[in-house]
Amino acid sequence: MTRLGFLLDSESCIGCHACTVACKAEHDVPLGVNRTWVKYIETGTFPDVNRHFSVMRCNHCDDAPCISICPTNALFRAPNGVVDFDDDNCIGCKGCMNACPYDAIYINPATNTANKCNFCNHRIEQSLEPSCVVVCPTHAIKVVDLDDPADEVTKFIARGETAVRAPEQQTQPKVHYRGAHEAPLDPLRTAIADDGMIWADATASHPTAEPGDGGVEARTTYTTAHHMTWKAKVSSYLVTKAVAAGAMLMAALLVLLGHGGEQAAVGVAPPVVAGVFLALTGVLLVGDLKRPERFYYLITRGNRRSWLVKGAWVLGAFAAVCAAWFLSGVVDSVGALQVLAAPTALLAAATAGYTAFLFAQCEGRDLWQTRLLLPTLLAQAAVAGASVYTVADLVMGIPESEAVQWVLLAGVLATGVLVAAEVVSEGSAHVEAAVAAMTRGRYARQFWAGGVGLGLAVPAVLVVISLAADTGPWPTAAAGISAVVGMWFYEDSFVRAGQSVPLS
Amino acid sequence: MTDLHRYPPHETWHDVVSLDAKAWPRREEHHHTLVPTTCFNCEAACGLVCHVNHATGRIDRIEGNPLHPASRGRNCAKGPATLNQIDDHERILYPLRRAGERGSGQWERVSWDEALDDIGSRIGAAIAEGRHDEVMYHVGRPGEDGFAERVLQCWGVDGHNSHTNVCSSNARVGYQSWMGHDRPSSDFANAEVIFLISSHLEAGHYFNPHAQRIIEAQGNGATVICVDPRLSNTGSKADYWLPAWPGTEPFLLLAIARLLLLNGTWERDFVRRWTNWEVYLRERHPHRPIEFDSVGPALLDDYAAYTPEEAERVCGVPAAQIVEIARIIGAHPTKFASHNWRAAGAGNMGGWQTARCLFFLNVLTGSVGTVGGTTGNGWNKYKAPHPPGASPFEQWNEMSWPQEYPLAHHEMSILLPHFLAEGRGRLDVYFSRVYNPVWTNPDGFSWLEALKDPDKVGCHVALTPTWSETAVFADYVLPMGVGAERHDVASFETHAGRWIGFRQPVLRRYAEIRGDDVHGESRTHEFNPGEVWEENEFWIELSWRIDPDGDKGIRRWFESPSRPGTPMSVDEYYGAMFAAVPGLADDAEAADQTPLEFMRDRGAYALDGDMYLPYERDIDPAVLVDCNLDDAGVYRRSGTPGTWSGAPEDLAGLELAGLGDGSPAVQVDGTPKEGFPTPSRKLELYSQTLADWGWPEYATPTWIQSHVHWENLDLAGDERILLPTFRIPTLIHTRSANSKWLSEISHRHPLWIHPSDAEALGIEVNGLVRITTRIGHFVIGAWRTEGIRPGVVAASHHMGRWRLDAENGGSWAGGDVDITNDGTKWRLSRRGRPESHASADDDTERIWWSDTGVHQNLTFCVQPDPVSGMQCWHQRVRVAPAQPGDSYGDVVVDTAEARKAYQEWLAKTRPAPGPGGLRRPLWYSRPLKPTPGAYAL
Repeated sequence: MTRLGFLLDSESCIGCHACTVACKAEHDVPLGVNRTWVKYIETGTFPDVNRHFSVMRCNHCDDAPCISICPTNALFRAPNGVVDFDDDNCIGCKGCMNACPYDAIYINPATNTANKCNFCNHRIEQSLEPSCVVVCPTHAIKVVDLDDPADEVTKFIARGETAVRAPEQQTQPKVHYRGAHEAPLDPLRTAIADDGMIWADATASHPTAEPGDGGVEARTTYTTAHHMTWKAKVSSYLVTKAVAAGAMLMAALLVLLGHGGEQAAVGVAPPVVAGVFLALTGVLLVGDLKRPERFYYLITRGNRRSWLVKGAWVLGAFAAVCAAWFLSGVVDSVGALQVLAAPTALLAAATAGYTAFLFAQCEGRDLWQTRLLLPTLLAQAAVAGASVYTVADLVMGIPESEAVQWVLLAGVLATGVLVAAEVVSEGSAHVEAAVAAMTRGRYARQFWAGGVGLGLAVPAVLVVISLAADTGPWPTAAAGISAVVGMWFYEDSFVRAGQSVPLS
Repeated sequence: MTDLHRYPPHETWHDVVSLDAKAWPRREEHHHTLVPTTCFNCEAACGLVCHVNHATGRIDRIEGNPLHPASRGRNCAKGPATLNQIDDHERILYPLRRAGERGSGQWERVSWDEALDDIGSRIGAAIAEGRHDEVMYHVGRPGEDGFAERVLQCWGVDGHNSHTNVCSSNARVGYQSWMGHDRPSSDFANAEVIFLISSHLEAGHYFNPHAQRIIEAQGNGATVICVDPRLSNTGSKADYWLPAWPGTEPFLLLAIARLLLLNGTWERDFVRRWTNWEVYLRERHPHRPIEFDSVGPALLDDYAAYTPEEAERVCGVPAAQIVEIARIIGAHPTKFASHNWRAAGAGNMGGWQTARCLFFLNVLTGSVGTVGGTTGNGWNKYKAPHPPGASPFEQWNEMSWPQEYPLAHHEMSILLPHFLAEGRGRLDVYFSRVYNPVWTNPDGFSWLEALKDPDKVGCHVALTPTWSETAVFADYVLPMGVGAERHDVASFETHAGRWIGFRQPVLRRYAEIRGDDVHGESRTHEFNPGEVWEENEFWIELSWRIDPDGDKGIRRWFESPSRPGTPMSVDEYYGAMFAAVPGLADDAEAADQTPLEFMRDRGAYALDGDMYLPYERDIDPAVLVDCNLDDAGVYRRSGTPGTWSGAPEDLAGLELAGLGDGSPAVQVDGTPKEGFPTPSRKLELYSQTLADWGWPEYATPTWIQSHVHWENLDLAGDERILLPTFRIPTLIHTRSANSKWLSEISHRHPLWIHPSDAEALGIEVNGLVRITTRIGHFVIGAWRTEGIRPGVVAASHHMGRWRLDAENGGSWAGGDVDITNDGTKWRLSRRGRPESHASADDDTERIWWSDTGVHQNLTFCVQPDPVSGMQCWHQRVRVAPAQPGDSYGDVVVDTAEARKAYQEWLAKTRPAPGPGGLRRPLWYSRPLKPTPGAYAL
């Protein structure tokens, strides 16, 4: 077998950027994105100062998270071990960009599909070396067949004299560095200083730790931009599906508590609300695709290992039970609702919770890997469902309105405990960096004022007041609305902070 | 992977099947023809191979040429970026004539015929009226040796002007003073110690070929030493980075030389055989016996003050490190490869002594022309013969070769606007050719004043593929081809070996391969985009317009030998040239091709054999029978400068050699040897020429205190040394801004400043800085770095490009500016930055950067070295936080101050005449040597 990798020899690399330009030429890579680039860092103090060069690119991991997460098999393992891609399959979901721990994937602005280094596999097919290898003045880039024990470079790697990026992600990268300083391989140990880079503008899209962060020991003087991929639409989708799932969870709970006969509040309104929010969820999900017209590839070209595909199936099944629930509600069939209650509850929980598994596939976002994400999402669904009922309470009679308030309070408290646990628990350096960005850094205001204040503190206080004194439905409804709005701020800070940690 | 190739086999190049990268993993096949050519970005002339798509007839991709002996199929970033320059949506495609005031940005399209007729008749009239000196060809990147020189010689015009005095004159004078050859050819690949006063791992001649070999040698255990006040990429790869104070490099080198002598680690026998030590002893140590044993003690006497401790004080390099380096150098005799080209040489007054002192180490270690040493460029550069041309002319153009600078290595190009302003002459036709003096030269506003004045410059013709700050002030802008659109032959001393490379118009060659009728009447512009010409055909055509009837005797040199009465074709020109290259005709015949076809198919040719120890070659005594052996052991041939009596009336009969005084050999230990092209035919430890021409104190390797020497600066106050010229790996002067891929990687050039300096001067992090020079100031952003010597600040060359009019290109790297003036007070201010916009290239919508840098050179006065004439680029400046009202990119200059500064520097010279009443030593090289009579003042 053949298992191709690269040896990037920092001892020979002179930082000339020929590989970068040869790659742009070979693949007609647009401005603003790169398949390969040369990172510069500066260490030491005058006169014992140095500049180090390391070439950054796809690591063609043996256990490639991008392939796992890719919903449409656009990313695939070529027989020679290379992680290759097929533009014709890509829907532009950007999952791969979050799955990759190396900042190696970008959206091609000309095609709106995900591209990256594919080892010039179209050249390998013709028995030609990749263009970066050919152009390099100092032979600092070498192709290696890791399955060939006679390969000189394989032997060299076997002697353990090389390093890889992010070994802790256990993706088994096949790009090996010789003679590289440790700092450039670890993006948390270098930062772009406030006065920028050596000969290119630094923008908000250039990934960097902050110069004052602990662990920063070197200065990044050249790197390339990487854009945040999942933003407001993804944060919103987390909320809309929580509302849909929560509404049906509450409805199922009420059926189990014997309120199946409440046609409006249990049989009809919840599936209508769930349907509306599921539709919104779908709009957001499809709208976030860079190639929305290809959304159906999720079904027709689906990768069953991808939680994007599994999620689509869950959402579809959940939509189906919601429809069945609605029909049962319209014909006022308590028996049908009782039959539907358990599967509905399960699918609602799956709808709320599957994102934990999806985010777990995002190997590049350590913050999202937390095991607390699943219970948090479920608690948030409970909050959202209870909130739906607190608002419904304004316009229609609802059963068990006090229980609804208790669910809201419990959900808020549970969310609070889970979030607090996440924030204070020790995690990887990347988790610590992301948590810092969320709680002390650029997302702190939306986290504290929005997520904690509006999302947790305000509803908790309002519900407690409401439970203590008979205040009527308005404070409780306000608590519900505040909780859902705050939930959005929290999700948004979580989603963005997760992506704020530099990977290259 | 043993089964991967770097390139398709050469025999398949006419039809290579490739797979479409974008369609992959779908197999979409393309057929390409691979046509070799030569890169036209830096001077290295690396090989390129263009992949021409059979379906579209366009160049899809550019890779290296594996058959090129210097670049060996590899390139720097600028090689593949050539594709951007071909596809540049803003390139000039048609001849343009000024339609408004100079610089107004108003142009009208004209036909080539109109332009050629107008320019040709102007030149014809100037020649007919004896105004030869009013015709000037000013070249930036030559691209080819000899073609334009032959044209000018055939016109009888001493009109060659070059960029060399902003580039390499200092290094050239330094090297020439030792070995006659003006340029080093370092055998890095086989060296054991590599000593760089240069940044050859990222820039310079010859970046890619040199970087390959330097890193190769380092991998084999060579020690790399780099001297540079700022941490270049080269410094960062070196085993020793020595950030000496700017201008003290010769001191450091002499300290090392002293240690080699002191340690006894010098090659006595080499120095005895191959230096003119006898002259040295006689002139400098007349009281010592004239015997070789005197040399060591004499040198130790001369350099007694250059102790490691004093070197530490003067240079700022630790004494222990100097001792260590001297020990390393001494331990590797004959394998010491060194290089200086610009860097300290180009920066400092007296910078020519950098190369002289550096090569002193080669001499002491016997590393001259050895395996792993450094030799003269002339031995590793092969000049293919051009067709015969006219005899030398009798003109001497005082505007280029003024009396004040008899030893100037090249034309005093930087002083041209001042000479025009002083009324030393005027120009009727001025060609700027891939040359951008308004931007590149110091004192650009003085250039602007000259170029805007029709009384000083009658007709300015800019020959350029792309817009530049100079072209916008031209009368004609004539579009010329980029690297894949023109013919040139190049050869450079990149390594121990000789080669020629052929630059050719790729689509013309593709048409030929495809079977189209490409014949003697075919012209390159028929195959180039728009109406883009190549210069060679332009010069041939223009020469016909100058002399349409042939009565001036010019036309005949440009006439087809096979079709009399019609212009010569480039096929005829290069066919004859290649047929004369040793070995090429045989190899072509073996391939069943003509020499020209052979070169069109391969793009490069390596001449047989190596040129190690060329000076040791025995000379057949039979060829010396008509020579006289003089007291110094030199075989002198009558009728050459070597035997000139010194009387003006005897000048007329002399035959001038291209280099050297025409003496063919030197006797060493009783045997006639080829030796060096110096008057002594030996390495000149003592340069009699420098002594004779007014600089006896500099006749031996000497440290000359720089105009920016740190001890003369108010370092406790706000004075600092500015290094404004360093280059980076991705750009080349003003020729690469039309590459989007290169501009994306590099577009800003903040001022490098050590944090301690920034603190002392009150400059904030990322703060704006006002740099005040002798004649003005500019405003730039600060960039704190540990990679620079405190006391020194630096900003890279390349950036600070501007445009007055968005119509005139510059999307990727040109900042919009306004220029205003009030008398001699000029101001340039930024109006806009590059931004995303729609154009024929979708990538302009993706421009994500906004900085384009600051045009520093405008604020530098001319600082010509009194010996070499080289612009001494380093600046003595005041560094302070920006003042209220200052904006980033502001440039303010008073050209009256520039004029005063010019006069101050002019006063430092020691003008001609030299011995014999000459304007210049007869043995010195000159791009065009006139008749010997023209040398008499």
